Amino acid sequence: MCGIVGYVGKAGASSVIMDCLRRLEYRGYDSAGLSVLNGDLQTYKTAGSIDELNKVLPAEIEGNVGIGHTRWATHGIPNDVNAHPHCSSDIVVVHNGIIENYLKLQEWLEDKGYEFVSDTDTEVIAHLVHFYSNSLDLFEAVRKSMAVLEGSYAIAVMSKNDPDTLIAARKDSPLIVGLGENEFFTSSDATAFMSHTRNVVFVDDRELVKLTPEKVEFYDMEGQLLEKQVSTIDWDVEMAEKSGYAHFMLKEIHEQTRSLQKTFAGKLSELEGNVQLPELKLTDEQIRNIGRVEMIACGTSWNAGLFGKYLLEGLAGIHTDVSAASEFRYRDPVMDCNTLTIAITQSGETADTLAAIRNVAQYESSTIAITNVVGSTITREADNVVYTHAGPEIGVAATKTFTAQLIALYLLAVHLGRRRNYLLPDEAKAIIKNLKELPGNVQQVLNQRDIIRKYAARYAANRDYYFIGRGLNYPAALEAALKLKEISYIHAEGYAAGELKHGPLALLENGTPVVAIVTKGRTYEKMLSNIKEVKARGAEVIAVADAGDREIGKYADIVIPVPVTNPLLSPVLSSVALQLFAYYTALEKGCEIDKPRNLAKSVTVE
Amino acid sequence: MKAIVLAAGEGVRCTPLTNTRSKVMLPVANRPILEYVISALVDNGIEDLVLVVGYEKEKVMNYFGDGNDFGARITYVDQTSQLGTAHAIGLAIPALGDGNGSFLVLNGDNIIEKETISKLIANHAGDATVLTTPREKVCGYGVVMSAAGKVKGIFEKPKRQISHMINTGIYIFNRDIVAEIENTEISGRGEYEITHTLQNMVKGNRDVRVTVTKNLWMDSVYAWGLLDTNARLLASCESAIEDTATIDDTATLTGNVEIGGNTVIRAGSYIVGPVKIGDNCDIGPQVTILPSTSIGNNVSLGPFSYIQDSILMDNVRVESHSHISESIIGFNCNLGPYSICEADNDVNIEIDNELVPVEKSGVVIGDDCKFGSRTLTEAGNLVGNNCTVRSGTKVDRHLPANSTVL
Repeated sequence: MCGIVGYVGKAGASSVIMDCLRRLEYRGYDSAGLSVLNGDLQTYKTAGSIDELNKVLPAEIEGNVGIGHTRWATHGIPNDVNAHPHCSSDIVVVHNGIIENYLKLQEWLEDKGYEFVSDTDTEVIAHLVHFYSNSLDLFEAVRKSMAVLEGSYAIAVMSKNDPDTLIAARKDSPLIVGLGENEFFTSSDATAFMSHTRNVVFVDDRELVKLTPEKVEFYDMEGQLLEKQVSTIDWDVEMAEKSGYAHFMLKEIHEQTRSLQKTFAGKLSELEGNVQLPELKLTDEQIRNIGRVEMIACGTSWNAGLFGKYLLEGLAGIHTDVSAASEFRYRDPVMDCNTLTIAITQSGETADTLAAIRNVAQYESSTIAITNVVGSTITREADNVVYTHAGPEIGVAATKTFTAQLIALYLLAVHLGRRRNYLLPDEAKAIIKNLKELPGNVQQVLNQRDIIRKYAARYAANRDYYFIGRGLNYPAALEAALKLKEISYIHAEGYAAGELKHGPLALLENGTPVVAIVTKGRTYEKMLSNIKEVKARGAEVIAVADAGDREIGKYADIVIPVPVTNPLLSPVLSSVALQLFAYYTALEKGCEIDKPRNLAKSVTVE
Repeated sequence: MKAIVLAAGEGVRCTPLTNTRSKVMLPVANRPILEYVISALVDNGIEDLVLVVGYEKEKVMNYFGDGNDFGARITYVDQTSQLGTAHAIGLAIPALGDGNGSFLVLNGDNIIEKETISKLIANHAGDATVLTTPREKVCGYGVVMSAAGKVKGIFEKPKRQISHMINTGIYIFNRDIVAEIENTEISGRGEYEITHTLQNMVKGNRDVRVTVTKNLWMDSVYAWGLLDTNARLLASCESAIEDTATIDDTATLTGNVEIGGNTVIRAGSYIVGPVKIGDNCDIGPQVTILPSTSIGNNVSLGPFSYIQDSILMDNVRVESHSHISESIIGFNCNLGPYSICEADNDVNIEIDNELVPVEKSGVVIGDDCKFGSRTLTEAGNLVGNNCTVRSGTKVDRHLPANSTVL
């Protein structure tokens, strides 16, 4: 997981690249570097964040062509040498992805007399391109190298011998080109250059881009010129800035009142008891024939997927399995043409999820992607795409995109349930009514931020935390635990409450905090007994419960009330409350909330 | 020129609407009051703004973000304790950045238009300029005495009618105001007030000037005052229907009606502008909406409901056969079938142990209230946040927040 940037244009390349890199920092931030071409090649790189790089840069570097990189280590520890760009005499390369055959190539190149200085897989690209550039121009050298490289990559390459030229290429890693006025950009993510231009071209796998100050050209692996479509990106990079909030995460938590509305905007039809999803191209017959759903996702999206299982089984009557993409890929899944695959990925670039959905292609079954990023790779891999429309999320810990995924799953479950005639119009209508009320309910949860902050501070010194829930509150408990561990580095585990006595109960000590999600529903009474169970072992119980629930106060030490809604929807509200809880816990502990250690926003490596 | 906008106060007299958001965020004609201030600044070419926020600041920051959507660049300054306007301005000045230029100061809770401040900006000279506007009744306002364009005195809420020029709270200062602010003593209200600072400057023979505006400057002192402001602003709205809105062929729209994205107007609905309807609303079938009504985003209006001269904020849900007149319904309220929000002429509304006479008034309902079916809320009553009114009951007095009417 890294971010690359390339720039060809009129302004000083180094300052533009630094600006772009800052916006890509969410993709990784353990080392960074840039190179500028100005007759000579000037390269600066360092371990640490973009700010560290800024410290080693001279005040002014001349040159209008350059490349930059922000790294999240996969091969080789984060240090100055392993930081990109990597060079081979007059060639420099930045790379996002993993070269799988790099050891073999390294041996081969060492035989040819090349010396390797870093522990990275990227260095082979530099030497390889250099090797071919002895007899070919830079473009041809990169094209030739691509035929040899195995694995995933988005690269940007420059050569001292090809002034004013930048070559970029991709296979299985995101790459986007931005078309400005007399200036062109290429990057792993359009966010990098959105303050300069919104006109973009999405580069596809096995394509090359040649950027010069005059024009941008796209080629396939055979060197044929391609016609590419220009798209316009309509979200704001400025939206991605913190605007008064201490952290992106807090800003994004607060944005949920609006982002949820955007997810369902124009899709709900309350009077008819229907959810319209014109983006689904499934026929009625295909929908009736769905025998099973395979949910594929990673991390927070996996928690959303588990949530989707309960919904699809309950509302649409479809047996659903949830797989971690990294497991699914290496399993022998039993699937047929009537298995519907739903892949959930916020970024649309999660490497394992992409690989898994590619594996599914062999079954000739339908696939649906749920993603937040328009035009991301998964949108080209899946037959159908449901966008969550939550807007860009910069905080590494997913918040608004998680709740948006939940909303997308409600829409999907109600839609499928209605088209299969499993869900009655009245039942659908009740859910739709409550969905419409959800943004207002979320606001009520946010209004309690001060109380939640107080409770979070009270328990922030604890080493271990347990989160329990049943039914739909179980995935909510898993997600709440994940949030806490991600940003506050507290050991936190989510459990199905009924599973406690099969092990975890042994871990409870006097004063261990247990967060119980205990909103009203089918399993409310059972949850009460689970709470008594942990209380009896000395745990401190923090209950997330319906506002106005008088019973719960008798059992829990602390109650965080959430507005009463349909039990199917209350996990959204509990999740928002517990996002705030995790945030304030991390704040109390003084953690780096937006960039937790060892984590990156979207995981584009396996 | 840059500007400091004061948006940290609560606006207690607009209760119950300000219990969950500051007055600057109350919507009129579907835009928060503060947005009119920001638009007026941007239209005058003032794009670098410092917003002083405090009370319920998240709602301000959520809406305005970094200002890009509004053509501005906004820096936020947090005033954690409300120690008055001079204190707020003092906190904000460092955020104006380097440079010695003069700067504007405005209140975020008064509605203005572009022209209100253009003359002020063009005419500024001397050490400070105060913008005033004539008012028939000056009761409740700060009053400015001036001669030959120079301020002679500023008086907070004088008992006697000494001048018809009221202080709009809009000023231009030079950077050296910092020293004057530091010397401002705390007032009887326990606040550092910028009017005190100005008074000191006048006494010290500094050059404090006055500019008069006769353009829009509106202040809603009480919650129900928003209805007048709303009507006034809607009067200049134009017809605009988003492409993604769906309007049934049998629905009638006359006058200027603005309809937002993904909103559905169902069969047989009758809408007479000026009316604004936000995004994602579900209206009808057979709903009547009459002039001077603003309906926020994600609002549902059930069949046969009738709305006139009212403000319905986001996420409100009104079930069938309801009647709402001259009323303000706060965010996320749910009104059951046959809910009546009555209006009457010459109503006296009691607030802070004072009776305020109002020519015509309906009701004001705070956020998150739930009304059952067949409820009647009598004219002139204020319902606090999060109240529950059971079916078949009558609300004939103010309801404090979180009450239940059985």
